[in-house]
Amino acid sequence: MEFTGNKAIYLQIAEYVCERILLGKWKPDERVPSVREMAVELEVNPNTVMRTYELLQNKNIINNKRGIGFFLAEDAVNNVREYRRSEFMNDELPLFFRNLYLLDIGFDELQTRYNTFVKENFNS
Amino acid sequence: MIRINDLNFGYSSRHLLFKNLSMQLNAGHIYGLLGKNGAGKSSLLKNLAGLVYASSGKIEVMGHDPAKRQPSLLRQICFIPEEFYLPSVKIEAYVKTNATFYPNFDHKYFNGLLAEFEIPVSQKLVDMSYGQKKKLIIAFGLATQAQLIIMDEPTNGLDIPSKAQFRKIMAAALTDDRCIIISTHQVRDLDNLIDTVIMIDDRDIVLKASVEEITQKLCFKRVKELDNMAIYSEPSLLGYNVLLPNYDNEDSKLDIELLFNAVLSERTKIKAAFN
Amino acid sequence: MNNTFDIQRFSLLLKRKWLEFGKIYLITLAVSLGIMLISYTIAFWSIITNLETFSDNTLDFREPLFFCFGFLFITVVASTYFSHLGHKPKTITDLLIPASTFEKFMAGIFFTGIMTTVSFVVLFFLTDLVFVSKFRIAVPGETGLNSFRDAEGAVTAITNKGVYFFAPDRLNIFMPLYLVPFFVTSIFLLGSIWFNKYHYIKTTLSVMVFAGIWTAIVFKTGEILTEGRRAVNHSRPIYHAANDTMEWIITLLLLMVTVVIWTITYFRLKEKEV
Repeated sequence: MEFTGNKAIYLQIAEYVCERILLGKWKPDERVPSVREMAVELEVNPNTVMRTYELLQNKNIINNKRGIGFFLAEDAVNNVREYRRSEFMNDELPLFFRNLYLLDIGFDELQTRYNTFVKENFNS
Repeated sequence: MIRINDLNFGYSSRHLLFKNLSMQLNAGHIYGLLGKNGAGKSSLLKNLAGLVYASSGKIEVMGHDPAKRQPSLLRQICFIPEEFYLPSVKIEAYVKTNATFYPNFDHKYFNGLLAEFEIPVSQKLVDMSYGQKKKLIIAFGLATQAQLIIMDEPTNGLDIPSKAQFRKIMAAALTDDRCIIISTHQVRDLDNLIDTVIMIDDRDIVLKASVEEITQKLCFKRVKELDNMAIYSEPSLLGYNVLLPNYDNEDSKLDIELLFNAVLSERTKIKAAFN
Repeated sequence: MNNTFDIQRFSLLLKRKWLEFGKIYLITLAVSLGIMLISYTIAFWSIITNLETFSDNTLDFREPLFFCFGFLFITVVASTYFSHLGHKPKTITDLLIPASTFEKFMAGIFFTGIMTTVSFVVLFFLTDLVFVSKFRIAVPGETGLNSFRDAEGAVTAITNKGVYFFAPDRLNIFMPLYLVPFFVTSIFLLGSIWFNKYHYIKTTLSVMVFAGIWTAIVFKTGEILTEGRRAVNHSRPIYHAANDTMEWIITLLLLMVTVVIWTITYFRLKEKEV
């Protein structure tokens, strides 16, 4: 995994975890990699991963079963969506809107392009 | 784990390298020790290992005075110097004669590390390159299960794949009862491995803060145009890399190089941001 | 846990030290053995090929050989023992080995003070044993040229020159002289930690300068003290042969100086910085 941009590492790890969950690589009720395993895989300080896992716990995406490890929460997928949605709304949308405004792109054009994109990528 | 009080140290009595330096380090962290050339990074590390003696002040490492060089402390210290020496024997012979001093030496772990670093076990130490030797002493040092791990420029001389292996190994090596201190110029090699930054300059610690603390107080950004909010800025390919006070509570990514340069040129402003 | 001396740790330290130090040691020992063999061969060659040349002095080469090469061997080994501490990376490794300073120092004493002397003596003993026994077989004392007969032809005296170097009756020297190897090695051991380079030469020069100054002081003091006085009792020796008082004083002095030099070495090691 390559860390990019200006976002804090622990948030980038959170995104990486969320993506795995959304893509179904981590299944509900399955044990997720331990803090150490994750730190080794990503070559980062375990304390950073710990911070990520604490964040994800607060968002009810994973929970800690004492003595066994971390597991995906029951509602993980929905909670990931909710978390990512708020992240998107707060961080990425303003930038997107700015470009729409600057480049004078209409919502109609956006709608058609969005529909084609979904059709091409997800409905095949 | 480590407590330093009012340390005064210098190689000659007139030129002190540290003046009234105090700090405390705890287990469960990887500390990154940064400083300009000659600022005294290696000397500070040597003070901790009892390889040099302070002119005054108190150093306490796991309840011991390191200057006494007691075996009970020495077996808990793994020190990886920048320049090191290995006798011209085979790895097996080296381990056989040295590992016995460390009651907790973990041979299985050691062999695992050698495999990870891709060092052939039967090789003679003289036939090994600097990088391979370095990897060997790192593997040996970690396998002693020492609680205090001190590394002076550990990634110097490691090739690109070895650096990645090193990061993985160190990420796995950090446990709650271990304290790891790494001095480095190559911040890019290690910036995600370090959780607390210690910067020394002008005979004292100018900054000691966790990554979390730093990014709470300061915000690292890439901007197209400068405004007067910036504490410090550096031109980059597409504008400027700036360091700002974190008024908006943004969670930005710590840029150690930028921070390092900022501390050196805008020390008072940085200190103000932390208070 | 004992932080000063632990016998198990000490033995580990000896083993570890041997791994590095052993090589130099064995090479030096091999060279010494070579010199002994050559010297013995040369001496005995003339005896074996030409029995008539055997005389009282034939085996006299052994004393200078033993003392000169013994001295050279133990001092060379002693002056390399701590010499690596002039090399930074080696010092770091050495200081950080989990053994106490005292144990590291004692290992030095063991290798330089005891092992060198013992191994040299053993080697010399064996070489001497081999050559002399060979000689004794070749030239039996009673029948050969080493016996004297009176007018009737009876053997009156056998002066077998094939005497072993370490023959029991030859070992009857003043016992405290066995201190000398410790004294000599202690000086060179100190030199090996005191200097950073050219340990042997610098130590030798220092000893010479020091000895010179010491002699001058003794000489001058004697001169000043006896100025304007006259010696009496020329004819009578001051000390009787049966009484070794003076020897014992010198021995004590030697012992004290050795201990002082060892103490200085210990503190040099303890205060060694990188």
